[in-house]
Amino acid sequence: MLIDTNVNLGPWPFTPVPDRTGPALAAHLASNGIRRALVSHFGAVFLPEPMPANRKLFAAVRRSPALIPVPVINPALRNWREQLAECRDAAPLRAVKILPNYHRYKLGAAHLVPFMAALADAKLKLILNVRLEDERHKYFALRIKGVPVPELARFLGRFPRHHVLFAGIYKGEVEKLAPNFTNFSAEISFCETTNCLELMLPKFPARRLMLGTCTPLLSTRGEADKLRGARIPARAKTLIGAANARRFFNL
Amino acid sequence: MRIIDVHTHPVFGNPADRVHLQRWVDHGRRHDIVHMIVLGDVLLYGATPNAEQLRKINDDTATAARMFPDYFTAFCYLNPLLGERATMAEAERCAAKPGFRGIKLEIANNASHSAMRHVAKAARAFHLPVLQHSWSTVNINDRKHQSDPEDTALFARRFPDVQIIMAHLTGIGFRGVLEAKDCPNLFVDTSGGFPEEGLIEFAVEHLGADRVLYGSDLPIRENSVTIGRILGANISAADRRKLLFTNTARLLKLTLN
Repeated sequence: MLIDTNVNLGPWPFTPVPDRTGPALAAHLASNGIRRALVSHFGAVFLPEPMPANRKLFAAVRRSPALIPVPVINPALRNWREQLAECRDAAPLRAVKILPNYHRYKLGAAHLVPFMAALADAKLKLILNVRLEDERHKYFALRIKGVPVPELARFLGRFPRHHVLFAGIYKGEVEKLAPNFTNFSAEISFCETTNCLELMLPKFPARRLMLGTCTPLLSTRGEADKLRGARIPARAKTLIGAANARRFFNL
Repeated sequence: MRIIDVHTHPVFGNPADRVHLQRWVDHGRRHDIVHMIVLGDVLLYGATPNAEQLRKINDDTATAARMFPDYFTAFCYLNPLLGERATMAEAERCAAKPGFRGIKLEIANNASHSAMRHVAKAARAFHLPVLQHSWSTVNINDRKHQSDPEDTALFARRFPDVQIIMAHLTGIGFRGVLEAKDCPNLFVDTSGGFPEEGLIEFAVEHLGADRVLYGSDLPIRENSVTIGRILGANISAADRRKLLFTNTARLLKLTLN
């Protein structure tokens, strides 16, 4: 059984990906061997305030227990406490997601201090989305780069008691951060080279890697096969494929 | 399912020795890849290698095809900017060696450059298809070296009797597929970038399953991912077989046991 830590619902404006219902998404993931998934809604990426998309997310996953809602919070907006409160009222939450590059704030911003404290109080995990697309293939008018490694490092140094999951991070970025920080895990959809996991494990422990497919932007089957086809110990596959996510998100 | 990978660089920053190459053969076989097309260590000397550097790269490629003739087929790497005489000489030298069945072009020049006529001449003379590195230049500001799909399609239109493979489906994207659509001598390989959803189906819909070839760009990409995106694509089993095996076998006239 696999747990996918990086899935989205909703349309993406720049490429014709499937806009699935909750049950259709759950069925699609199951057909690729994924039994549970942490799901956000693409609408939250571009809306001026993410709650309309979060409401769609909660409605969509209500009848699909395999889909665990991960609302997007924009802590740069004055109402981030209200966003968080409404999400907590809407469903039992395990985590929230932030998109600093799409929501135009730095990870050194002052508002992140009370935000991180609020997450700790609520016992919520944080997924920090580093990127959603290969920068080379973005829509020509969308000049948004991935969150730079020095920013990620600054964030990890600033909040050493918080363990965060970086989604959409490159292998090289994981390896740059790894020697100095133990308070992060990495989702693997954007980690790729031949024998990727085999090469990563000596530099980064399996207990801090988690399967993610970036469905529907990337091929679910291709990304799941990255783990299935890896020449790594069975124990490491179990950790990356489900056990780490189960432990981290208390599933 | 048997697979042919039309886009690999097993000699990539590593020596062309038996131990190293055997490792790639074993790797490929684990993924059901029964044959690989070796494109050479094309950036070893930068974007515009001279004649001597080309020979060195092609000799390394030849070594792979000689050591594992049943597993590796070679493409001859050329720099069109070296002119007609140098292009023809190197193509002839490679074509005389066992295992060479194509020409590889990287980023010495844009595919719309007039020097491409030398490549077309060599391709005709030695009956070799041409694999052209291609990538959308929308977000890459280097059109002098990088060939946008528009440029590769222009190359194909200028020389309709030459069979051309536009590399990197993911890099050329949806627009690239449409650029290739009206060029029956233009094929697309599925290598390049992350396995972006929907592109395989779009390419098969617009080009037909006969003009899409599986490629990985090994060792840059992960074979399980590049194959998985095709196994997971919403296309027929017959089309999948064409992409993964039949099309490349037919284009390169490979007879594999």
